[in-house]
Amino acid sequence: MTPKRISDRTRNEWVTAYAFLLPNTLGLLTFVFIPIVYAFYVSLHDWNALSPKVFSGFANYKELLRDQLWWNSVLKTLLFTVIYVPSLYVLSLGSALLLNALKGRLVGPVRTMFLMPFAITSIISAIIGMYMLDPRNGVINHLLGFAGIGPQQFLGSTSQAMLSIIGVILWINIGYNMIIFLSAIKEIPRDYYEAAQIDGATGWKAFRWITFPLLAETSTFILIVTMIGSFQAFDQIVVMTKGGPANATEVSVLYIFKQGFELLNMGYASALAFVLFLIIFCLSIIQLKLLSLRK
Amino acid sequence: MGKSWKTVGFALLTMMLLLQVACGNSNNGGEQTGNKAADSGQTADAGKKVKLKFWDFHSEKEEEFFRGLVEEYNKTQDNVVIEYSTFNQTDYTTTKLPTGFASGEGPDIYMISPGDFMKFSKSGLMADLSSYFPEGAKEDFLPASLDAVTVDGKILALPYELELLGLYYNEQMLKDAGVEVPKTWDELYAASKKLTTDKVSGLILPPDKGPYFNFIWYPFLWQQGGDVLNDEGTASTFNTPETAKALDFWGRFFKEGISPTKLQQGPWEIDHIGKKTAAMQIVGTWAINRAEEVFGDVPINVAPLPIPEGGKAATDAGGWKFAVNGKSKHVDEAAKFIMWAFAGDPERALEWCTEIKFAYSPRKSVVEKGNEVYNKGMRKVFTEQIYDSAIPEPRYPSEVLDVVGDAMQYVMFGKTDGAGAAQQVDGKINEAIQAANK
Repeated sequence: MTPKRISDRTRNEWVTAYAFLLPNTLGLLTFVFIPIVYAFYVSLHDWNALSPKVFSGFANYKELLRDQLWWNSVLKTLLFTVIYVPSLYVLSLGSALLLNALKGRLVGPVRTMFLMPFAITSIISAIIGMYMLDPRNGVINHLLGFAGIGPQQFLGSTSQAMLSIIGVILWINIGYNMIIFLSAIKEIPRDYYEAAQIDGATGWKAFRWITFPLLAETSTFILIVTMIGSFQAFDQIVVMTKGGPANATEVSVLYIFKQGFELLNMGYASALAFVLFLIIFCLSIIQLKLLSLRK
Repeated sequence: MGKSWKTVGFALLTMMLLLQVACGNSNNGGEQTGNKAADSGQTADAGKKVKLKFWDFHSEKEEEFFRGLVEEYNKTQDNVVIEYSTFNQTDYTTTKLPTGFASGEGPDIYMISPGDFMKFSKSGLMADLSSYFPEGAKEDFLPASLDAVTVDGKILALPYELELLGLYYNEQMLKDAGVEVPKTWDELYAASKKLTTDKVSGLILPPDKGPYFNFIWYPFLWQQGGDVLNDEGTASTFNTPETAKALDFWGRFFKEGISPTKLQQGPWEIDHIGKKTAAMQIVGTWAINRAEEVFGDVPINVAPLPIPEGGKAATDAGGWKFAVNGKSKHVDEAAKFIMWAFAGDPERALEWCTEIKFAYSPRKSVVEKGNEVYNKGMRKVFTEQIYDSAIPEPRYPSEVLDVVGDAMQYVMFGKTDGAGAAQQVDGKINEAIQAANK
């Protein structure tokens, strides 16, 4: 009798598991995997979305190899990633540590304050950022004025636009990542710190040898998700600069959007999108390998 | 046991997926039909009639006008029902129309701007309307307005509004600064510079790339006799001293901080002058109604665009056009509707151009009929001093628009000077024309 009962339970578990997985699997298939395969198919064609597709082999891929504007946009994306990902990591980890150290009634309000920008739609927060960075009437220039610094152009300057965008996106996302770090920090048993304290390890040493290593998995998650997100940054950039001024913030996704929907080169845009997918895929694998080595 | 359950599970998953796809399609279809019915509020017997989809991007008062127009037309028809839907303007041209046409679900009747004209006409999405004009109607249209929509002798769209550009200004601000209304480029530069303060921009020009950006700049090129392409539209004429001069003049306003490189509101909104954050702005006829209705207490006036030494007056005449999907099964019915709307009774065209918004009609009879309105306040300046210098907005391929925009930005942000930018972009324009014509 006993083996049958176990098998019943196993069967029920299977059914339940599949039932729970089904909606997500279907969603992923319909909205992620099938479009990826279809994008590859489209990328082998010359297609303007309005006329029938004409098969062109790998012509689009050959063209993108010598498309200077595309590679410039890739460089801008890399620049964005190289500045944004470490900054977000350090700032959200730092604020999680600070918040963890805070005691008393202040904890709640401060945590809410950090998380607030994330609770606002990304478009709205980008618009708020835009107003704050306005060269003539923005609050940031007003504050800089107190420090004796003259008005800056921010989003209207080719040299400052990218940094300004990174600043706004950091402001939006720090809270969320901070909460993830904070909950991971709270998971670390207090005994470790108490034992370390007895051995004389506090402050930096405790962080270096206890907190940091035990946050390895959380760090891996945050770094990978943030890196992928940074390659896909689109909505806030469209709202704030539309890739300008003078293409200074035209990251890869914006360039793909321009090729696809403004110039209607759908085949070419699909080839670019597929290459971007491969770049992100390879970088994620490398990052995973490096982080697992560290562990 | 486990293995067989796994197989059953996988088979179920596949089945569900297939069902989902199949049901998804039929559901979608059902939903769309439902929407259509809701859109036009048609009755049950509409099922027997030919249904035509009409998509545009208007909102508020303008949307009401078109909705009313469609209802009025539907009442007179026994065999045709027009279903009107309107979308956000940005989505309309960038995603809505292309994806609609790509999936074969596009509209039968739609609207097109010069910036997208070539793209759609080349793909057979604009039917030849030449034979549908009522008798004598073609002669009523300004020849230039029909030329702008004619390809190989075929009239591919119906122009129904002409929007001209002028230099709007705050009279009080100019008076306080002791500045005369500028008539020349030098005067425009000097006046804008003098009017610029910490809080007020001397002159608003569009800073971001896009069709509107180029649209505002073309007059500076035309005023000197320059142009982007030759008359046949087959080769670039961009690398000239005229282009260089127009680019340098444009760039100077941004480089010297007279015109902001970043705006919080669209450069086409008169609100910059209305809210007193700008003293002058180059914007079109559409701004008049808002200037009067919303900013009636601000002393706003308008003047012709300033011209360079030895140049001639020129302004841009933009405006959307009606088009009929050349791949529609009901080209005939669709063409008849748009002719009824804007090539027939002049009252409808007059209402659109004078009551709903302010624009010029490309039809002489309509402008004559609206004589009183066209001579009221700021409109009189357009009618008497600007109208005759109007040149229809050119219908360049998107690739050409894009690289011309690049040249303007190179100069604005000090990457190179006008001559350098004109030279750099010249070859790219030729490449773009070749790509567009292939």
